[in-house]
Amino acid sequence: MTITGEVGAWNARGNAAPAVVARGLTKVYGQGDAAVHALRGVDVSFETGAFTAIMGPSGSGKSTLMHCLAGLDAVSGGKVHIGDVELTGLNDKQLTLLRRERIGFIFQAFNLLPTLTAEQNIRLPLEISGRKADQDLFDRVVETVGLRDRLGHKPTELSGGQQQRVAVARALISKPQVIFADEPTGNLDSRSGAEVLSFLRTSVRELGQTIVMVTHDPVAASYADRVIFLRDGLLVSELMRPSPQSVLDTLMKLEA
Amino acid sequence: MLKTTLAGLRAHKLRLLLTSLAIMLGVGFIAGTFVLTDTIEAGFRQKFAAAADKIDVVVLPAEDGGREQQAVGAELLEKVRGVEGVADAQGIVRGTAALIGKDGKAVGDYPTSAVSIPDGRLNRTEITGGAAPKSAAEAVLDENTAKTRGFAVGDRITVLDSKNVKHEFTLVGLFDVGVDQALAYSGAVGFTTDTAMKMSGEKDFREIDVAAAEGVTAETLRASVAAAVGARGEVKTGAKHAEELAAANGADTKMLTLGLLLFGLVAMFVAALVIYNTFNILVAQRTREMALLRCIGATRRQVFGSIVLESAVVGLISSVLGLLTGLGLGAGALAVIGRTGLDVPTDGVALAPRTVAIGMVLGIVVTIAAALLPARAATRVAPIAALRSQVEEQTFRTGVVRVVFAGLFLLAGVGATVLGVTQEPGEAALFTVMGGGALTFLAVLILGPVLVKPLSAFVGWLPGRLFGVPGRLAVDNSQRNPKRSATTTVALTIGVTLMTLISVLTATLRVTYNAKLDEQFPVDYLVASQGDQGALPRALAEDLRTRPELASVVALRAASAKIGGNGEFEVGTFTAAADFTPKADTGSFGDLKPGTVALADYVVKDLKAEVGDTIAVKTTEDGTVRLKVVATFLGENALLPEVTVPEQDFDRYFGPLGDGQIIANVKDGVAEESARKAVEAAAQPYPTAKVASSTEIRGEFDEALDMMLMIITGLLGLAILISLLGIANTLSLSVHERTRESALLRALGLTRPQLRRMLSVEALVLGIIGALVGVALGAVFGWAATTTMTTGVVFQLPIPQILAFVALSGLAGVVAAVLPARRAARASIVGSLASG
Repeated sequence: MTITGEVGAWNARGNAAPAVVARGLTKVYGQGDAAVHALRGVDVSFETGAFTAIMGPSGSGKSTLMHCLAGLDAVSGGKVHIGDVELTGLNDKQLTLLRRERIGFIFQAFNLLPTLTAEQNIRLPLEISGRKADQDLFDRVVETVGLRDRLGHKPTELSGGQQQRVAVARALISKPQVIFADEPTGNLDSRSGAEVLSFLRTSVRELGQTIVMVTHDPVAASYADRVIFLRDGLLVSELMRPSPQSVLDTLMKLEA
Repeated sequence: MLKTTLAGLRAHKLRLLLTSLAIMLGVGFIAGTFVLTDTIEAGFRQKFAAAADKIDVVVLPAEDGGREQQAVGAELLEKVRGVEGVADAQGIVRGTAALIGKDGKAVGDYPTSAVSIPDGRLNRTEITGGAAPKSAAEAVLDENTAKTRGFAVGDRITVLDSKNVKHEFTLVGLFDVGVDQALAYSGAVGFTTDTAMKMSGEKDFREIDVAAAEGVTAETLRASVAAAVGARGEVKTGAKHAEELAAANGADTKMLTLGLLLFGLVAMFVAALVIYNTFNILVAQRTREMALLRCIGATRRQVFGSIVLESAVVGLISSVLGLLTGLGLGAGALAVIGRTGLDVPTDGVALAPRTVAIGMVLGIVVTIAAALLPARAATRVAPIAALRSQVEEQTFRTGVVRVVFAGLFLLAGVGATVLGVTQEPGEAALFTVMGGGALTFLAVLILGPVLVKPLSAFVGWLPGRLFGVPGRLAVDNSQRNPKRSATTTVALTIGVTLMTLISVLTATLRVTYNAKLDEQFPVDYLVASQGDQGALPRALAEDLRTRPELASVVALRAASAKIGGNGEFEVGTFTAAADFTPKADTGSFGDLKPGTVALADYVVKDLKAEVGDTIAVKTTEDGTVRLKVVATFLGENALLPEVTVPEQDFDRYFGPLGDGQIIANVKDGVAEESARKAVEAAAQPYPTAKVASSTEIRGEFDEALDMMLMIITGLLGLAILISLLGIANTLSLSVHERTRESALLRALGLTRPQLRRMLSVEALVLGIIGALVGVALGAVFGWAATTTMTTGVVFQLPIPQILAFVALSGLAGVVAAVLPARRAARASIVGSLASG
């Protein structure tokens, strides 16, 4: 576990406590001969105020890792902490409340409720938890993603890029401890994708947001502060201040 | 293509089952109706045939010009007995002879029937205990009367003859009235033939039963008896007579069948709506599947065919299940009828081939027909749709055609209704209103998708406030597919409309009846004779007048008399009392002096005689008298005889007849119990004098109405149940459609209970929308229908009941949402996000 040392070194460099920490994380689907070990013992932590990308070839377990970290899926072994709360051992209701209070999500597609307008979609997490939206924050977020003139539109009246920007705004509005983004640019053309990624980076730089993003696109990963690489359910490598080229090189090395 | 369809069906067994349930219940109800009535009919036929077995030939009174019957008397009986080939002939007597109960009063509302029990092989009555009467001092009772009145073989019983004179008999046996509904209703006392004639006062026979001698066929005997009887009687073989009786009985069962089928058809219509909706949703959901089939070379025709085939399989399966359900329902109903002790044959449940055919054809045809439009929609799916990643939200825009059509139907419906309401009350007006109702309902059906949005906004206002985000999302969801929501709710609307209509009608009838009862005369007690007119001696009214508890006593007496060439009318009078002045419609009762007459409004119509005209009445004692009409009154509002003459005149015209009815009013301040005691004490010496209080009469009427309301509610319940299945089905399909949406909401922090609540609220909103439309339609057309029934209707809106309908519909919707909601809440978030 040489990597653990490296991660620990990164953590030591940070000033604040990590937003998300996983220790000895395992996830097994199925039983007996049919058992699939999606995660085989992952130790990782995500610094507050950092933008981290998770990469790896198909079937490496990167989506499973994200689902386990976000409390969407139950772990088979190990522990996950979000801030000072330990996820493992929480029941469904506690998990739901935790997601509501501390986690934001951006999915690849189908991020928005079709019956609600853009503004209603953005405010949805706050409404669910019964919190009042901070009007200044709302205005800032809307300005940041450039949706001021689209607030009254239904998702079907928005382009794919605009829809993802609404999703980003929605994730930001509740000031979560961490935002998990699952292939947020997977369905977008490169220009819209670049826009969405810069919003994510801006929110980290200006709002101090913590973001964990799963992607298979080296260009998308290069927007992050740090990239971690998974293969066969294990954390195998990591890059700081990545460029598309360095990410690609690391991937090539892993595939080989 | 066939294999693909069948594989698809197998893969969705649960969905198939839910869909089938609607049709299954509809078919089950219709099949059950047939099973029930077929069994009863077969039972009757069998019993009639068994009774006819003993009789070879019957002689019935000949019909003379279709009206008056010629008597079949003792002399004719002797003649028949003399015919060659006759082994035995017996005259059958049927009249009335009131049995006196242990309380000294005649039993029942009607006098018991008196029947003759012939001896020998021609005895058709089944003696179930003891023996048949052999002498003039012996009598038998029907089993049911004996049981309810507490008589046993060996007891002494008292029976009144036609002159109300008491006779005592020894009860020697009990008998079964069999399929004779009239005897079962009135109860019956059996005597020897001679005694039966004496007791009932009948001079003639109802029929003569003839048995053939050895070696003589019924047909031969019929011919020779007919030759002897000639035109004086109608002669039939026993078998033919039984067949005719069974057929007449069958006509009664046909009415029952027809009535029940009407409810069955309502249920089927609702089921068709449910199927239509289900297939529409299925087609929408399988857009990609259809497109893929088209991509790999399936023609539009094949896609259409696969949907139709799917509906045919659903129809087939549900029809078979429906027939089984029907068999169970029929058997269940028969068991219930058997328990109530009604004299209806309930043995051997019959599933006729016709029932199977009708059930199967109806089930399959309705299912396929309901799936045709959705199947056509499926053919419009472009192959390219397979490649689109996200199914587009269906948007709905109000089309001009829709509005124009709805407008036309609404205009026609409202027009017909207004026409019906302004018409004279009667059947024609009722049918016009019903037509108007059907047209208006069609307008609402067409306009449904347009109405859903404002209605759900209205209904959802409170839940939206009350249940926070889940509530608001639910209201949004209920409007997002107006067509689907409309069809789902319309199914419920049908049931609620009919329920409201019925409850408005019964409530209005109740209030109207009570108002009329009050208006007629504030009657406290009504003493009526059990048997014929004029059976209460005048001494009874005299006695009542002396009772200090009573304020006023009015006696009504009447006789039948021919008026001009217009047939028989009830001519009668009332005795004067201080506070009894009948209300005249035209003219005045003050002018009712000797030589004058007052007429009920319907008699005025028949006779075409107005106030001032003169009518000729054929009296029994005074020849034909000419009377001047001085007043008319509303017949249905008064207890008065339809042709009312002054008191003194009546005795002169018809002799000193007894009273038919006596009305007594209690003095103010007298307790109800002591008044009742006084009236009953006065009536006690007269066994046939029956005392009823107005509260009792009202109670009986109320009970009858409640019973009717309950039965109809039960029958409509099925249609409502089917529409609830529709709501459950729509919701579960919607849940399936919104799997990812639900997962997204859960990821964003919606708890499981909140997600369940969201679906419950959606169902609640749908249920209440359906109920509101139904209640509105039902109330309006209930009102319209009541105006066509009779004049002077006091319209009554049963608000508590209507509120209960709305609340129950909402609740039922929530119940229907339980399973879909559970499934939605249990789904794994990760799995749901990945799917689709």
